[in-house]
Formats: sequence, structure tokens, C-alpha cells
Amino acid sequence: MLLQTLEIFLIAITAGVFGSMLGLGGGIIIVPVLTLLFDLPMRTAVAASTVSIIATSTGAAVAFLQDRLTNTRVAIWLEMGTATGALSGALIAGYLNQRFLYILFGLLLAYSGYNMFKTRKNELPEGVLPDRLSQKLQLQGSYTDRQLGKRIDYQVTGTIPGLIVMYFSGIAAGLLGIGAGIFKVPAMDQIMRIPFKASTATSNFMIGVTAASGAVVYFARGDVKPMIAGPVVLGVLLGAILGAKLMVRLKTSTIRKLFIPIIIYTAFEMIYRGLK
Amino acid sequence: MTIHDPELQPPPSPHEPIELSLARLLRIGSLIAAVLIAAGIGVMLLGNEAVATRLITAGLLALLATPIMRVITAGLIFVREKDWRFACFCLVVICALAAGILLGQGHGG
Repeated sequence: MLLQTLEIFLIAITAGVFGSMLGLGGGIIIVPVLTLLFDLPMRTAVAASTVSIIATSTGAAVAFLQDRLTNTRVAIWLEMGTATGALSGALIAGYLNQRFLYILFGLLLAYSGYNMFKTRKNELPEGVLPDRLSQKLQLQGSYTDRQLGKRIDYQVTGTIPGLIVMYFSGIAAGLLGIGAGIFKVPAMDQIMRIPFKASTATSNFMIGVTAASGAVVYFARGDVKPMIAGPVVLGVLLGAILGAKLMVRLKTSTIRKLFIPIIIYTAFEMIYRGLK
Repeated sequence: MTIHDPELQPPPSPHEPIELSLARLLRIGSLIAAVLIAAGIGVMLLGNEAVATRLITAGLLALLATPIMRVITAGLIFVREKDWRFACFCLVVICALAAGILLGQGHGG
């Protein structure tokens, strides 16, 4: 029991570090570890992972907010899409062919992985012209990049397309229980042309809210096992605080290089799940 | 992409920036959760599993409440700043979250 708690705790720290740096939930690490290594039921693993998404988000957001990396206005605008999408996903669950959705979302991820690979050397987006809505909502942002040692002012575009993609990412989360951040980061990076670090930090900020309603439901159903979720959350919180401190000092291209294999892996895994 | 241009800075607000208010809220939430869970794990090592479970559950609930409180707080800050548009956006998010929770519990699992 003691050894198991310690092992879960250490793995959770790793998940927290990577999740917070990349704006992801860390379920990609937590769920397979709990089911395969610790032989826990899927429901327990998914519930613990959903609660740990909130830990990743909350732990890292403090540092990101203080560094102004998080764009709160963009986050709240897009949360409308993810929250209503998750609700729609829960409503239409059972009416849609899940296989088809896995393949569709998998292909979408593969495509954004390919785009991310093409732009892997770009440090910052250039020549972004804000659309009218983005100006009206004042979505532009600025932060001090500790790695480049200068202040970065940026504009945001693709305000409506970004919201639409978030709606579908919310559906994926509500329906398939996946994709806390894996759709959000590419949407902000590639459609809204937000600097990559600001995209991952803003995704990190949003995933806690996306996970919240699901986590409450798991909790009410008794799927959240305190003896499992406790050490997971504690480890992820610690890891997320460390990861956020590390991320602000990394080069954008380094973070991108860490993100690309994960997005490609997830794309293939989803297509496989749809086909098998 | 432009580098530092003082003319582009927004006018100073009489209140502290929303980022700092939300950062404080999230720090308090995660601290409460971490302390309760760590205490729970500590008690578990001492062998009192019943108390440990309660402490950890309380910590997990504190963590769950944090993002929901964050959306509500952001909404209140926008109301204070008379930014009605963003206050409405927060309201949409809160309603969707509430509906999601009610719907999920309705299914019973």
C-alpha cells in the first residue's frame, strides 16, 4: 500500500510536469499507468485522471497568470465553446457512432500535428492581423518572455473559427472523455495565431474548467477513490508547479518538439480505436 | 508581432489586474487541497484509514471547487469593471457547467 502510494505519487509528478508545460491534462500518462501498471479499473483511472486535470490546471496557472502568459480574455471567450460543447457531447452521447468520431477526431489531430511539424522552427508568429471581433473583444495580449528576455506583444485572429473548434473539442471531451488540451493548443496556435507559450498556458488555464463538471459527476457517482486520487492529485499539483517554472524558461521550439510526438501518438491511437 | 510599444498599453485600471486576482484564488485553492490531501496521506501512514479518507475527500472537493469559483470570480470582476460582454460570457460558462453536472447526475451512472 505504502509503496503503491509512493509510486503513484512519483509518476503523478512526471505527469504534472509534462501536462503543465504542454497545456495538456496528463491523462495520456495517468490512465495507462493506473490501468496497466496498477491494474485498477478503467472507471477509477479515468475519474482520478479527470480530477488530476484540475490539479494540473490549478497548480500551473498561478505561475502562468503572474507571468501574464495566460490570456484570460481569450480563455473565457473559448470556454464558452468548450463548456457548451461538452454539454452537447453528453446530450448526444448514444446517438452518434463513436467509431466514426474517433476516426474523425484522429484525422483532425494528425493534420494539426503535420502543421505543427511544418512550423516547428518558428519561435513566434509573424504578421498576424487581428480580425474585427478580436479587436472589439480586446483579445490581444502581451507577456515577458523569460527565455528571449523581452516583452512580446501579440494580436489574435480567427476569433470565430477558434470558438467553433473549441465547441468540437468540447464535444470530444464530453463524448469520448479525451482531449483536455490536445485540441485546444493547436487551435490557438494554428487558427488564432497566438504565440505557442501563450497557447499552452491559456489551454492549461481552460482545461480545469472543462474537467470540472465531469469531475463533479465522477465524484457524485463514487468513482473518485480517495486513496488513488489523493496521491495522484498531490503529485500532479507538485509537478505542475515545477513544470510551469520550467516552461517559462524554455524555448518555444523545444516545447513544440515535445508536443509533436504526443499529438501524433494520440492521433494514431484514436484512429486505431475507431478501426479496431 | 510588435515589440514593446508604450502607446499600445491599455489605460491603467483602478483595480488590480484580473490575472493577479485569479492567481491568488487558484493559489489558495490548490494550497488548501494540497494540505488536506497531504495530511490525509500522513494519517493513512499512521494507520487511521477512516480519518485519512475523509481528509483526502475534503481536499479533492476543495480542488474541484477551485475552477468553478474561478469562473464565478472572473464573472464578478467583469461586472465590477462594467465589462458586460465578458460578464455574459462567464454566465454562459457557469450555466453550461451547471447543466452538465445536473445532466451527468441524472444519468445516475
